[in-house]
Amino acid sequence: MTAQTAANRPSAARSAVEAGLHSGRRDWTGMAAALVLLLTLIASLAILFVLLADVFSRALPVFTSRGLDFLGAPSSLNPEIAGVGQAIVGSIVLTIFVIVIALPIGITAAVYLEEYAGDSRFARFVNTNIRNLAGVPAIVYGLLGLAVFVTTLGAGRSLIAGGMTLAILVLPIVVITTAEALRAVPLTIREAAYGVGATRSEVVTGHVLPYAMPGILTGVVLTLARAFGETAPLIMVGAITGVFRSDPQASIADRLQGPFTALPTMVFSWAKQPQEEFRALTAAAIVVLLVVILAVNAGAILLRNRYDRRW
Amino acid sequence: MTAVVRHGPTALRVDDLRIGRRRRVREAVIRTAITVSATASILISTLIVLSLIGNALNFVQQVDPAQLVDEGWFPRRDMFSIPTILAGTLVISGVGMLIATPLGIGAAIYLSEYASDRVRKTLKPILEVLAAVPSVVLGYFAITVISPTVVGTIHPGGQVFSMAAAGIAVGILITPLIASVAEDALHAVPSALREASYGLGARRLATSVRVVVPAAISGIVAALILGISRAIGETMIVAIAAGAAGGSLFTINPFDPGITMTAAMTALATGSDQVRGASLAFPSLFFVGLLLFAITLVLNFISDAFVRRVRQRY
Amino acid sequence: MKSALRPGALLFAGLLVLSACQSSASSSPSQSQAAGSEQPSADNLSGDIQISGSSTVQPITSRVFEAFTALHPNVTGFVDGPGTGDGFALFCNGETDISDASRAIKDEEATTCADAGIEYVGLKVGIDGLSVITSVDNTAIECLSLLDLYALLGPESQSFSNWSDANDLAAELATQLGGDYGESHAPYPDETLTISGPGEESGTFDSFIELALSKIAAARNQDATTRPDYQAFADDNVIIEGVAGTADAPYTLGWVGFGVASENLDKVHLVAVDKGDGCTPATEDTIASASYPLSRYLYIYPNLASVTDKPAVQAFVDYYLSDEGIANVAAADYVPLAASDLAATRSAWEGR
Repeated sequence: MTAQTAANRPSAARSAVEAGLHSGRRDWTGMAAALVLLLTLIASLAILFVLLADVFSRALPVFTSRGLDFLGAPSSLNPEIAGVGQAIVGSIVLTIFVIVIALPIGITAAVYLEEYAGDSRFARFVNTNIRNLAGVPAIVYGLLGLAVFVTTLGAGRSLIAGGMTLAILVLPIVVITTAEALRAVPLTIREAAYGVGATRSEVVTGHVLPYAMPGILTGVVLTLARAFGETAPLIMVGAITGVFRSDPQASIADRLQGPFTALPTMVFSWAKQPQEEFRALTAAAIVVLLVVILAVNAGAILLRNRYDRRW
Repeated sequence: MTAVVRHGPTALRVDDLRIGRRRRVREAVIRTAITVSATASILISTLIVLSLIGNALNFVQQVDPAQLVDEGWFPRRDMFSIPTILAGTLVISGVGMLIATPLGIGAAIYLSEYASDRVRKTLKPILEVLAAVPSVVLGYFAITVISPTVVGTIHPGGQVFSMAAAGIAVGILITPLIASVAEDALHAVPSALREASYGLGARRLATSVRVVVPAAISGIVAALILGISRAIGETMIVAIAAGAAGGSLFTINPFDPGITMTAAMTALATGSDQVRGASLAFPSLFFVGLLLFAITLVLNFISDAFVRRVRQRY
Repeated sequence: MKSALRPGALLFAGLLVLSACQSSASSSPSQSQAAGSEQPSADNLSGDIQISGSSTVQPITSRVFEAFTALHPNVTGFVDGPGTGDGFALFCNGETDISDASRAIKDEEATTCADAGIEYVGLKVGIDGLSVITSVDNTAIECLSLLDLYALLGPESQSFSNWSDANDLAAELATQLGGDYGESHAPYPDETLTISGPGEESGTFDSFIELALSKIAAARNQDATTRPDYQAFADDNVIIEGVAGTADAPYTLGWVGFGVASENLDKVHLVAVDKGDGCTPATEDTIASASYPLSRYLYIYPNLASVTDKPAVQAFVDYYLSDEGIANVAAADYVPLAASDLAATRSAWEGR
């Protein structure tokens, strides 16, 4: 038994490992490579931090001199009184449109795909369709909005047209994130519910959806933040880049049909003005935009990490 | 059949498991509602294609094929050179990918293979949050910082607006996206492979580069394709920083101003179909839109094919 | 599950509160801008005014609009500036109430409007000079004649990427035209030529062709247009940005309205223009007296049907032409009309 068999003979591999473990030679290439990789990571993050620092420092004078006034003032060609009030309202209304239209349709479509459809050809077709739609650039949705909502349906350059366009843009993403959240709920939960006699809709509404809620909400919040920052489709649909005034006493219906602007389009139109004062104003508007988007994203991601259920 | 099974005080009858009429009706209603929602997505696809095709066909029928290879893209002057806008898109996406690929994949490899679990848990979310910076912000950054400093150093004596400045900003935009998706792909490679590699005496660099990366290659390629797709569809950065808003001659010099497909569309965006200039200027908008839609569709199919390969393996 | 909702809901509620404050706050800053302690007159005037058109006239009309809505907070509307040409396209389609224009309406546009049944009256509101501009760092170019402008920017100059490429053409023109359109300043510097200017949607584009290029183009049997290969922007401020260039590349060239150029003298400098009587710089006086060769009128075109149907539109134009309103022309750095021209405009408006 102790005779030297082929298996016991020190093999080439074993000697190589031993040499590696005991030679004490430093792995210069390896360390250099690790350093290079670390630098790429740092570079990726650093560039964006530099951008943020630059923007915040340019915006500071606006906030110190005008404070919260800037948030309330309407748009103007005069940089000393121009503000983002109308833009903030516009962005919020557009977000509400997205919530009201895209969420119900998106979540129910995802429920269909994950819970009802099985593996039929129709389901796979819808699935591929949605994946493709999610990859279409935002400006193409803007074209769609221009052709369908502004021109054909006659909504004109209004909040309604803008809101519908954004809702459609965001719909595929809502479907995909909700579907993923639903998929993460294990089969056993469903089977247990069927086992006590629930119908399919009762299984979904009473058991699957509640468990998937954190994931769904995270996805929804991230999607809303994305819609908040979209510019191209709004420009195609006719967001005003000049000056406009709305009647503070107009009915909601009238306001929805009137001209509008949003934070990102306001940034776009101010970014093109070369006067130094507008540089600072653009930076200030960007700060407002970023604060909302980054805070919402950070919050959603933190929550997702915290409530990441391990089954 | 009313079979009564008595096993103690709480008797469960088969009847109880049969669905009563009210529940059945509710079930059917909900099922219909949900199916209708799903078809909404198909409706949208059809809407996109229909709305684009009508005007695009109009353009194709009326345009003289010679105009499509003119010296430049000047839609209001009846010059519709498709190669010009394609070249602009390719140059800017190319510059963007040149920057984003090494940075993104390098960052992904570091996070997945080298970083400790705690570092990864803090940095990955930061990366994902940074991916949410809107492109209009990066466009502003391109003309205020990138153009004077970066482009000005590489190519002094250049213009304020250039494809290089826009390309660099696009690269910065898609780096977190590529890093995030590639990192997911690398992280999903089973530890068994790494352990086997270490067991053979390979060090970390060799393991990462020669074992893990090839194993995750489908996911990495999918990440890159996602990045390209995003770069091609990018609008605001080029609208602000690339210059040539009204049109441009054919050029592949990145330090020239140039026009992409997306910028060509923005230039004609007045929120109305009343656009002055050659009569085909407005329909050309839809033709370019359809072209863009087709290109991203193809890229998506390719990307999906790669992702499906990953799913099959593990 | 609830805690997942809470931060999002809180943020959302916060934004809603903020927006509610904005909606009420957005009316108060405008009211506080109303001149001194004047009581707003006709506070119950309401209606919608939609104005689009020239980006050159936009700064003036926007100022008038902002002042007007400060006096009449219930009036709504917008002022946009996609370009004179695009503005007329919307106007003749019935989509706007007033069209700003940096040139008179063209015959084709007038026909389109007539076909659509749109009646209007053209009202001169100010004078603008078309400034030829180059980078503030470019000290080599001080004066250009119409001949030079044609050689550098005209239809026969396509693909000239260096100033000196135009030397031959300039020599040819000098032989053919003599000094009729000013002395040639060739040979031009051997530097890269970067051009930024308005695009075809802009009235400034049309005015430049008409005032600077059209006669020479006719003499040369060419189309009256510019070369197509330059950086065209609808936004005047972006043109300034392009012409401002960089310290290393100051040999830029462009043209833009005087009002915009004179507000950006830290980035661009105005080149004197010679139409045959010597180099005339662009100043308020030379523009007003029309001794500067590239002077033009600025117009507004109200839709007469809108004026009748909407009292807000009529009140707006009344205000625009009043002393208080027309003062905004000077405030926007444009040249005010001579007294006789202003009187003529007012009577044209009264007698519409």
